[in-house]
Amino acid sequence: MIETVGLGRRFEGTVAVEDLNLSIKDGEAFAFLGPNGAGKTTTVRMLCCLIAPTTGTAYINKLDLRDAESQLKIRQSIGLLPENPGLYESLGAYRNLDFFARLYGVSAKDREKRITELLKTLNLWDRREEAVGKFSKGMKQKVAIARALVHEPEYIFLDEPTAALDPEAAKTVRDFLLELKKEGRTIFLNTHNLDEAQRVCDRIGVLRTRLLAVGTPDELASRFFGRATLFQLREVRPEHLQALRSMPNVLDVRQEDSSLIVQVSDPKHDNPAIVSRLVAMGAEVSYVEEVKRSLEDIYLKLVGGG
Amino acid sequence: MRLRWDKVSTIVRKEMAEYRKNRYILLTLILMPLVMCTVLPLVYVIPITLLSPPPTDQPLDLSIRVEGLLEDQQLVNVSINNYRIENVELVNCAVGSCEIVNCTIYSCVVSYSNISDSQASSSIISHCNIWSSTTINTINPGSVFLGVESELEQNLKLIVNALLLFILLIPSVLPTVIASYSFVGEKLSRSLEPLLATPTTDLELLMGKTMAILLPTVLITWLSAIPMIIIVDVVTQPLLGYFLLPDEIWLLAVILIAPLFAVLSVLLNVVISSKVTDVRSSQQIGGIIVLPAIAFFIITLVGLVILSLTNMLLFAAIILALDALAFYLAVKAFKREEILVRWR
Repeated sequence: MIETVGLGRRFEGTVAVEDLNLSIKDGEAFAFLGPNGAGKTTTVRMLCCLIAPTTGTAYINKLDLRDAESQLKIRQSIGLLPENPGLYESLGAYRNLDFFARLYGVSAKDREKRITELLKTLNLWDRREEAVGKFSKGMKQKVAIARALVHEPEYIFLDEPTAALDPEAAKTVRDFLLELKKEGRTIFLNTHNLDEAQRVCDRIGVLRTRLLAVGTPDELASRFFGRATLFQLREVRPEHLQALRSMPNVLDVRQEDSSLIVQVSDPKHDNPAIVSRLVAMGAEVSYVEEVKRSLEDIYLKLVGGG
Repeated sequence: MRLRWDKVSTIVRKEMAEYRKNRYILLTLILMPLVMCTVLPLVYVIPITLLSPPPTDQPLDLSIRVEGLLEDQQLVNVSINNYRIENVELVNCAVGSCEIVNCTIYSCVVSYSNISDSQASSSIISHCNIWSSTTINTINPGSVFLGVESELEQNLKLIVNALLLFILLIPSVLPTVIASYSFVGEKLSRSLEPLLATPTTDLELLMGKTMAILLPTVLITWLSAIPMIIIVDVVTQPLLGYFLLPDEIWLLAVILIAPLFAVLSVLLNVVISSKVTDVRSSQQIGGIIVLPAIAFFIITLVGLVILSLTNMLLFAAIILALDALAFYLAVKAFKREEILVRWR
């Protein structure tokens, strides 16, 4: 479990992260969204014990990251994929992974098995001896992912893993993340890619120095836009609007062409009554569907762009 | 702080693997010692041997037949042959086939004699064996100085001591080149962050990086000394009659002072690398590390300090103290957070 308690970091008078309170369960995939400079990378660096918090603390697997001895144990249990692959470009993929596996204390037998497994899974086995400097961006990113996983960490921190990748390479990386999720690893993903966050992660946190919101995409949509239902009618008349507005559980009604967008607190309970009322008034209801709010809507609303 | 040698050796091996792939580091590791230890000794030693007259350390066979003894007196304007002359002041004398011991010789002509423990001035001394004596304003055609250094020997020793500077330049300069790639290169390739995220301590990372630079530097310095010693000896032995190197000063410089210099250079480069962002700046600032070595040798060459064993030990102690200071500064500069936040 990852738990932050009032976590914060200042850099010479500039606040990068402030009062971050967050709890991520084991096996959960969590995405951190936020504009550039929001403090996402700083948060990951603090959680990976690379930089110290100036306020508050965090616990990884109940280990306090302020404690020097715990820091070694925390680093042992995490895999980090930074924004840049940061590989040793003159060395081969196998040599790169072998170096990190040794630093993580993986035994000789497990090391060989694990590296072989990862390189084969990521389709890099045939080019394992080739200097990674000659690899494409996508291939380098794959090696960097393998490096983050070579010691089979419980917690995986990924900082913009698909940024600067072509769509095909990005899909490979994303598919691999889904595999990791299936394996039950805890994933902490920093991303600008809202679609990626929605596809891979269970919960989303939006950060802009402070944590603006956290929850599943549905929870966030409901919290910031309410739960709205679209009633598609053959024709919308003013009395339909008037009638629905007078219903006790209806929070808001607006018209969009021949549709009514109705916001209620409990759609499951309230929508049948709305349909009955409309039908009783002679309206012809073509279909009813829940209005889905995209993550982009939520994000833009939170960070002030929409 | 925890220090696990398996982590240190893992870092050392990775660094070595990277050096082997870096053409610039490889060329520097090969060319610099090659120039310093083969070309420069030849350039410096050969002209001295060509310009100075060849000495001989074999006494002349004079077959002196001593027939009498002259002692404890002053002899002026006399001609003396086949005598043993002891504690005598000779003035305006002509001396031939004598044994001259502990005498003062002034304005004399001395030939075919053995002279020992004496002082000669304003005289002509020809075809004599001269032991432990000094000659001022004196012409010595065909004489052999025994038991004192010849002019050639003195010049050669001066040059050979100067060559030590080149040996000490290797451990000062090589780490600058390697460290500039090792640290700044790691910054440029952004490979520091994943490395710092591993369960290694700051001290292990520092030691790994330091040892990886130190080991090839010291090894190459030691190996470079071998051809230098061979070249110096091959060139000078026929003239001096003995092997000039290695002497105790050289052994001390190569075995002890060179590694101490290497440590200083590596650690200062760690500090410098924490402040600069590109390889060239790192190398330029790193160049100042050779200054202590150059300063020491200029001081010795102009004669302000004699290059004796004691002075070399003192020099070693100073470098050791500087090493300790540099280690303190390097440990201070080599902190994860500093590296990540400030090493840009």
